[in-house]
Amino acid sequence: MKVTIKEWNAVATWHWDIPEDEVCGICRVQFDGTCPTCKFPGDDCALVQGRCNHAFHMHCLMTWIDLETSKGLCPMCRQKFEWKDKE
Amino acid sequence: MFATKRLSKMQEHVPPGIAIVKCDNLEEWQMDIKILDQNPLYLDQTYRLKFTFSNKYPIEPPEVQFIQCPDSTGTPRTIPMHPHIYSNGIICLDLLGSAGWSPVQTVESVCMSLQSMLTANNRNERPPGDQEFIATNRRRIRDINFVYEDDNV
Repeated sequence: MKVTIKEWNAVATWHWDIPEDEVCGICRVQFDGTCPTCKFPGDDCALVQGRCNHAFHMHCLMTWIDLETSKGLCPMCRQKFEWKDKE
Repeated sequence: MFATKRLSKMQEHVPPGIAIVKCDNLEEWQMDIKILDQNPLYLDQTYRLKFTFSNKYPIEPPEVQFIQCPDSTGTPRTIPMHPHIYSNGIICLDLLGSAGWSPVQTVESVCMSLQSMLTANNRNERPPGDQEFIATNRRRIRDINFVYEDDNV
């Protein structure tokens, strides 16, 4: 028997490489959702992870880090927040 | 902008000794807290907290203070005695000031910190200069630069 495929539709799902049920500590929305200012999850509302391994929506973290009183510290552990290089 | 989802999650589970009294808007909440151990200073007492959120919460801290309720309300509430709590309900706690706040703090975590601040206390007294402070202070809570006179309490 010979089958001819006329058409196919690829479907994929994605999630960030982070446990699915974890939430951003700042906005409390799941990482696979967006920060409160964005509408579409994904590259437009990326995550950021510090060397301390704490992760946040990048927009949430930037709102905090931009504040002088944050002193550039991680909201979770109060160590200096330094971007973790991609391994 | 942050507040909506964040505050509504609180209502799903409330830690022991903490109860939501009023949360019908995103500007002001009231919470009741009890101390769970046998500290005689606070035994069988319930205290009322008022949280005021700015539109920058949780990037900025909420304003948190104890409030009094008269007997006529049916839920009488007093201001707990503590060397860091003024008799008008204003609380001197580093995590509530801009310098000590972190945006991962929540209403629950603040209530729990206050529970433990009370639990750990055995001094039946007000902060130094209490009467003068409550007579003269007109500043908003977050603008007060507390001098943390005593880190051991």
